[in-house]
Amino acid sequence: MTHSGLHAAEADNEEFDHTDPRLSRFDLVKEGARRDGVQLVHYAPRFPVPGTRREARVVRAVGLLFFLSGLFATAFVVAYIWWPWRYQDGSNLSKLYTPVLGVSLGLSLACLGLGFVAWGKKLLPEEIAVQDRHDGGSPADEKKLTGETMLNMVDELGIKRRPLLAKTALLGMLPLGAVAVAPLIGGLIKNPHKPDILLHTGWDPSLNSGHPIAVCREDGTKIRPADVSIGGQMTVFPGIFNTDGDFVGASNDFADSPTLLIHLRQDDAQVLRSNLVHVPINEQNTWGNFVAYSKICTHAGCPASLYEQQTNRLLCPCHQSQFNILDNARPIFGPATRRLPMLPLTVADDGFFYAKSDYQVPVGPGFWERP
Amino acid sequence: MTASPPDKPRARGTARRATQSRLRRRVGAAARMIAALALVGSVYAAFVPGGAAQGAPAPSSDVSAGKTLFDTSCITCHGANAQGVAGRGPSLIGVGDASVEFQVSTGRMPAAGQSAQEIEKQPVFDETQAQQIGAYIQSLGGGPQLPEGNNLSSGGNIAQGGDLFRVNCSSCHAFGGGGGALSSGKFAPTLANATDRTIYAAMLSGPQNMPVFGDNQISPQEKRDIIAYIQNLKSDPAPGGLSIGRVGPVAEGLVIFLVGIVVLLFAMLWIAGKS
Repeated sequence: MTHSGLHAAEADNEEFDHTDPRLSRFDLVKEGARRDGVQLVHYAPRFPVPGTRREARVVRAVGLLFFLSGLFATAFVVAYIWWPWRYQDGSNLSKLYTPVLGVSLGLSLACLGLGFVAWGKKLLPEEIAVQDRHDGGSPADEKKLTGETMLNMVDELGIKRRPLLAKTALLGMLPLGAVAVAPLIGGLIKNPHKPDILLHTGWDPSLNSGHPIAVCREDGTKIRPADVSIGGQMTVFPGIFNTDGDFVGASNDFADSPTLLIHLRQDDAQVLRSNLVHVPINEQNTWGNFVAYSKICTHAGCPASLYEQQTNRLLCPCHQSQFNILDNARPIFGPATRRLPMLPLTVADDGFFYAKSDYQVPVGPGFWERP
Repeated sequence: MTASPPDKPRARGTARRATQSRLRRRVGAAARMIAALALVGSVYAAFVPGGAAQGAPAPSSDVSAGKTLFDTSCITCHGANAQGVAGRGPSLIGVGDASVEFQVSTGRMPAAGQSAQEIEKQPVFDETQAQQIGAYIQSLGGGPQLPEGNNLSSGGNIAQGGDLFRVNCSSCHAFGGGGGALSSGKFAPTLANATDRTIYAAMLSGPQNMPVFGDNQISPQEKRDIIAYIQNLKSDPAPGGLSIGRVGPVAEGLVIFLVGIVVLLFAMLWIAGKS
């Protein structure tokens, strides 16, 4: 509703008698629009003579669209229940399960929409309506009147004369506000060091009553140095078994522990050994030409396991971070800012790889207490 | 030479009168000498041989034909004795038959030029020639070799192969085998054209930036499992009918976005248009 329209309508209201029995429903509709500042410039039915063959054809077409909508929706339900959805090898109906669902539901919705739009476009009367636009701010007198009304309310409350009321109301309401936010904020308060899971992974010897954890494959078998070819790599997991003897080192309970064991070429390993001084805690961590880095990218925690064996880089597929294997996994490209932690490797007397200790720095993305 | 030591004592013996015990002693000394010489000779034969004992016996026609091909097509970058040329090409000693088969039969070698990565192209050499070059390289310093036959996936356990593929291969070659980007213009190629032998050779030799998956890490049977899985993945029709390169949600999202936007545009024009 616009102000100018409102004023114009108010001025004419007296002349309009809504009880006049001669007024048609459309007259009342027009009057309502006029009071809202809407003028009907052109108004004509699509089919001035009802019941023509052309009208019947349009009505049938719209009806058909609604019918098709229902048909496709039924097809969706039928396909959802009875279409073979389990994976089967080769060319068969199960390959079409999701497309059938998508197409039937899509066509059902499209037919419904088309039907309503066609109803509106082909059957509703043609109409051109004009409405005045509100221009500029409110008139000066209205601003003044509204402002004074509000100030009068303040006077009536007498806040200036009775300051005790204002203060006690505030005192009463503040704790009530605290009640409202307490459950929301309280849930966010947490001590990250109780339990201290961020600083420990599955390689922590305390999980094996103080003995070093074995380096294992995804099926829990231990690894000998000869198992990884020169220029090869292997994803390894801590050798942790539950009380039933099942291997759990590769489970979600130790999702922070996957590690990439890499067998470098002699020359490359030499370069890495000369670079170990850059990160003093890494100095005793390699074994022979083998090095092991955490597989969890220090940027967003994706597996940074795309290993380029000639350029000696580790790539993370999520945001293209790159780490230089020959320089303590220093990030050399992409959003990662921190080196991948190096696992202290050793080979015990039984000839298998073991982790001498847990990672010396936290694994994974940005950690707020890192040095 | 083994004959001379017994001769000498005998010559001296004619000058003096030989007793039976002296004769026995001399025969014993000669026998010991012969035994010692035989031992030294066999030890020598065991240490020297490399070329002499293995290369020399059968310089087969394949090896010599391979050398001819090598000398005309590979020598520029890999050197006269396949020892490599600094700044051009690596040494091929010890890379083995498997590496040659992968590089030559997929057309990656001979290289068209120095680039971030050699790409697959129309092979220059046919299968026989590739085998001959392989035999030559194999004769230089051994190395990994492929099993016989073109079908290296029969008897492979697809489910087991799928597990191994997801652990070892999918990080670079993507879950659908469509390949993916690496650093600085390098990429993991699609597996769409890979034959059983190509995949086996790639795992065994670790071409370019691909890591090596030796037989201790992935056993020959497990390699067959992986190949069976890959070949099944390729022959199995894509769910829904269109694979769109099997490069994953980015391509699929782009297609549905473009198609969807066009459809919505026409719908808007129809709804808003005057009838």
